Amino acid sequence: MLPTFAYVRPQSLANALEQLRTDGARVSAGGSDFLGCLRDDVFECSKIVSIAGLDELRGIRTLPDGGLRIGALTPVAEVAGSAVVADRYRVLAQAAGEVASPQLRNQGTIGGNICQRPRCWYFRGEFHCLRKGGTTCYAIAGENQYHAVLGGSGCFIVHPSDTAPALMALGASVRIAGARASRVVPMDEFFVQPNVDVRRENVLERNEIVTEILVPRPADGLRSAYRKVRARGSWDFALAGVALALRVRGGSVVDGRIVLSGAAPVPWRSRAAEAEIVGSAVTPERATRAGAAAMRRATALKRNAYKIPLFKGVIEEELLKLANA
Amino acid sequence: MAQDPKERDVHTPADRGSVSRRGFLTSVGTGALGVAAASEARAQPPNADVVQATELTQVTLHINGRRKQMLVEPRWSLGYVLRERLGLTGTKLGCERGECGACTVLVNEVPRYACMALAVEVDGANITTLEGLMQGEELGSTQQAFLEEDAYQCGYCTPGQIMAVEGLLRANPDPSLEDIRQNLAGNLCRCGAYVHIFRAAARAAERKRAEGGAS
Amino acid sequence: MTRTPDDRYYILGHEAPETPPPAPDPEPWGDTRVVGKPRPRVDAYERLSGTAVYPADIVLPRMIYGAILRSPHPHANVTAVDTSKARTMPGVHAVISADDIPGSLEPHTRTMQNQVFLSRCRYEGEPVAAVAAETPYQAVDAIRAIDVTYEVLPFVADERRALEPGAAQVHDQGNQVMPTINYRRGDVERGFADADIVLEEDYRCECEIHTPMELHGCVARWDGDSLTVWESTQGVYNVQTQVAAALGMPLSRVRVIGEYMGGGFGAKLGAGKYTVIASLLAKETARPVKVTLTREETYLTVGNRPPSNMRLKAGVKRDGTLTALEFVGSGSGGAYRAGGVSLLDYLVKDLYLCPNVRTELTDIYINAGPSRPFRAPGHPQCSWALEQMMDALAHEISMDPIQLRLRNVPTVSQAREGSPPYTTTGLAQCLQEGATTFGWEETRDEIARTRNGGHVRRGVGMAAALWAAGGGGPPCTVVVKLFSDGSVNLNMGASDIGTGTKTVMAMVVAEELGVDPDDVQIAHADTGTTQYASASGGSKTIPTESPTVRAAALDVKRQLLELAAEELEVDVATLRLEDGNVVSSADPSKTTPIRRLRSFARRRSITGVGYRGPNPSDKAVTPFAAQFCEVEVNTMSGEITILRFLGAHDSGRVMNRLTYQNQVFGGITMGIGFAMTEERVLDVDQTGKLANKNWHDYKLPTALDVPADMTCVPIDVPDPEANIAGAKGIGEPATIPTGAAIANAVYDAIGVRLTATPMTPAHVVDALANAERRG
Repeated sequence: MLPTFAYVRPQSLANALEQLRTDGARVSAGGSDFLGCLRDDVFECSKIVSIAGLDELRGIRTLPDGGLRIGALTPVAEVAGSAVVADRYRVLAQAAGEVASPQLRNQGTIGGNICQRPRCWYFRGEFHCLRKGGTTCYAIAGENQYHAVLGGSGCFIVHPSDTAPALMALGASVRIAGARASRVVPMDEFFVQPNVDVRRENVLERNEIVTEILVPRPADGLRSAYRKVRARGSWDFALAGVALALRVRGGSVVDGRIVLSGAAPVPWRSRAAEAEIVGSAVTPERATRAGAAAMRRATALKRNAYKIPLFKGVIEEELLKLANA
Repeated sequence: MAQDPKERDVHTPADRGSVSRRGFLTSVGTGALGVAAASEARAQPPNADVVQATELTQVTLHINGRRKQMLVEPRWSLGYVLRERLGLTGTKLGCERGECGACTVLVNEVPRYACMALAVEVDGANITTLEGLMQGEELGSTQQAFLEEDAYQCGYCTPGQIMAVEGLLRANPDPSLEDIRQNLAGNLCRCGAYVHIFRAAARAAERKRAEGGAS
Repeated sequence: MTRTPDDRYYILGHEAPETPPPAPDPEPWGDTRVVGKPRPRVDAYERLSGTAVYPADIVLPRMIYGAILRSPHPHANVTAVDTSKARTMPGVHAVISADDIPGSLEPHTRTMQNQVFLSRCRYEGEPVAAVAAETPYQAVDAIRAIDVTYEVLPFVADERRALEPGAAQVHDQGNQVMPTINYRRGDVERGFADADIVLEEDYRCECEIHTPMELHGCVARWDGDSLTVWESTQGVYNVQTQVAAALGMPLSRVRVIGEYMGGGFGAKLGAGKYTVIASLLAKETARPVKVTLTREETYLTVGNRPPSNMRLKAGVKRDGTLTALEFVGSGSGGAYRAGGVSLLDYLVKDLYLCPNVRTELTDIYINAGPSRPFRAPGHPQCSWALEQMMDALAHEISMDPIQLRLRNVPTVSQAREGSPPYTTTGLAQCLQEGATTFGWEETRDEIARTRNGGHVRRGVGMAAALWAAGGGGPPCTVVVKLFSDGSVNLNMGASDIGTGTKTVMAMVVAEELGVDPDDVQIAHADTGTTQYASASGGSKTIPTESPTVRAAALDVKRQLLELAAEELEVDVATLRLEDGNVVSSADPSKTTPIRRLRSFARRRSITGVGYRGPNPSDKAVTPFAAQFCEVEVNTMSGEITILRFLGAHDSGRVMNRLTYQNQVFGGITMGIGFAMTEERVLDVDQTGKLANKNWHDYKLPTALDVPADMTCVPIDVPDPEANIAGAKGIGEPATIPTGAAIANAVYDAIGVRLTATPMTPAHVVDALANAERRG
């Protein structure tokens, strides 16, 4: 049962930003993650500013420069089912198709998906953890089987989004509207690591709204894929996932990005792994080395050591599959 | 002072015809409920300005082809409103966290969890519930396929499973087994009737195609 | 420990029920007209149209909603409860805590304390106070406004540490529930000395939580001194007994109704504290009160399958003869005595012929929610150990695992006092017919032929099982009433928990009275109006109810044919019922529709009463099973894909081929969850709290986790000695061997044994890494 809150559904972005100025106001898009947080008392909200009525933030459109504009309110299911996305950005279509469950993909938005709060059971549960303003990260000495092996510092959540690693692999950006102006932030700079600020997962301020996602024109020879390993077939976040976007010319990788999900508090771009495969063909040996490179700095907590061999295996397998596709 | 939620049914009830053991169905969902709410009534649409937490606000829901106007608190879920306010208990609640699918309904033809939708958020939408699949007093095609394949045990997740299949078939009349499995992946069945549900979905697709697309 | 297993299904030491005087046994059915055919359910329309009213669906005039405040700590003393603010909240009608209710309620189950609100909370989720308000939202608002002061106590949440010195004490007398239970037959040491191969292994099964789809809950309404409770339950008579005892009321004034219910699996065999709380709130407010637990509350408080730690040592000769089995098991039923090791060793004692067996069971308290019986208590865990061990033994002696099992098929029930024979033993047929239909040999050959050293590997596995109970038994009473127009009322107390009980019983009536099952109107699961039946659980319902229904229908038939014989002036022995007619084999011209019988028309109706006769005193009634599966394992990602499953089951006569198959597939699906995805996670090192009290973090299998390719092979051999319907139970055995069959298939695929559930990619990758490290 949800606690009480006031509710407003603005008809314009300007009004939505205005409504967000109230203390305790929070923006809600699809609501699938947001309402769950309210049910679990993850944060307080005295007023929901629903942006569900802002139709201009919906839809997928090809831009004149060949890139793609995805409105932040576009349902995840629409991204997963879009022919243009599937055709040109396979990694994104696959990642969107792996999100949660069909009903939640119908409800949840792409903007909400990259901004969702962590699924760490201490963060979601009745634990006053570091990320909620407490003094302890319960995962460090606790049940940390689903927690980070990279980038953990004070807090060991993993970022829950599937689409964010895919967008990062594609070099996408996010447009953010604020009270005074809008800004465009590359996905590479959108997420915040816990050693910078443990209370947030991204650079979005409380009174800002993600309005659209901009994906650059696919490079010639782009091959991309998303692979997610999880404890059950649906409705589950990644134990280990990898978003690949490789530019292949004449059998050789000329450029590429490898971004991990389920590894770190942010979508984790592994430049070390990228370095192992750029400049040559993806051979089994190179794929193995890329997996090993991605995990070189990984450190396990008490119960998540399996993630290290798992990531190695998944990266290797998926690289070979993509290179030989 | 507390007021009853206001509810209006602008359609005339369907003709009941002769007495039958199933005749009560036409009245399902039309009963007004007398539970008072200790909140202030307020009769303005929610999109004009802020509805305060303690206020009731008016919404219009088009449920199974009938228009319902009623007053709701901002926090009331569609699932709560359907079941406890409108008596449409075909829609079940299993978790109220979007984690089981028992409450699946079609919102503008698309499967959604009624527990994760605020009633104020679906103001103006077309809602189809299990009751809305009935063909008069007879089971609709999807329901009939569930009967024939014995695609349920306790029956509590079943309304949600049926609505998920119905939503799939309205979008894709000829799904593959893989399509069926993927589209049912948001509905838990603890009794474990999944395999029979897959068969029921395939049979429902056949029935619907045979009927020329009529649901 | 000499009780028959049927007695021990629920609680150790429970006395065997009395048997009403039986009628003489009728002839067993020969060819049946209705029974055994595939038939959709008689209540399909209600369940599929949304008109079936489950307890959670009930909305009564003036009804209000209850909610319960629960201890957030696994172990704490409640030192103060301030409800003053909550009482002034909008919509609130009543707030109750320990101060407000009589302290002398009777305990209403073995695991429930004698107070509703305790001052010492021994598990997270123990009730502390409750509220009734106009809306469920307002009830929860008021719960949030109650201020409780706790003195937090040290806790222990892992039974593997609870007996160590210095562990927090759940109860002052210590954490061991009762003295270790020892069982011994023969001489295991000599058995091991006689063996050619001796293997020893540790196994672990995680705690599994029932989570039926319908939340636990009830509606309570008073009418003067009488209480009516609509409860989502497997057994209305259990709820009645417990609520009456808790409130100090006569049974006659407590009416419990539970017609439709959304799943139980053992978690709804009786009342909950919430039932008593709803009744108290309804009394205090003079309103009907609905209490529906939240999903999170159900994870904390209404039962689970205990975690099990098992060490099994087994000896075998090269020819496949088992020489000795030694089993040491421990587990925890949580903070109260709740069967933490119930039947955990049963399969070791009974499934295979073995002269030398020793077992040892230790039940341990921890600060966690009490267990409740969960579909075949103890058996899936014991199967996990024993059937993996059988597979390993077969491997060691280079024998096909099916042959090893066939070599040791039991003829008598060795676990029972005096080793009585089974009424029927279909185990060999389960193994042989299952293997044939599955294509066991061919698949193994094909896998061996196509193995290419790649990282995705296929394997097949199988496991066998029996279920200790599953024979049902008295007491049970059923009333069948035939009207002069040929329609029928069936009155029985049993719940239909989704297994198709109502449909099977209507088929039994139809078989005997020559009517259509759809013409049988059923009243059931209502202590006010229907006859006594024990709770639906333990695979007891079909073998208990169907003979009783048959007896009642036969009683009707006897009376009707006697009337007809007199009226038609023929010998009653020549008469039979067929499609609504009385037919005489001596004189076909005498054939008369029953509605034309004048004597019957004058009498208007005939009422027959059936009692469940006793089980055979010198034999054991036991269902058997064998399941087979094929898997694919990705050794890089640890993912296991189950490609197909087959269940071959001997549960006596198949009563309804369609619902029977549904039970088999459902059992396999639940077994997949037990083996592959499900695990209660307590924060054992810090707070003792439950980390995964929701369906996202506690993972049930989804549509994508079960193979679409499932096959049901019924070994349809009626068991005339078991009861007059010839049926044994199917619900429990269908889930027992599943987990071990998968584990054996995984071993076949990758050569690594996973001895702990759940077999997630994490565990597979870990196991592969460990195996590599060991070389």
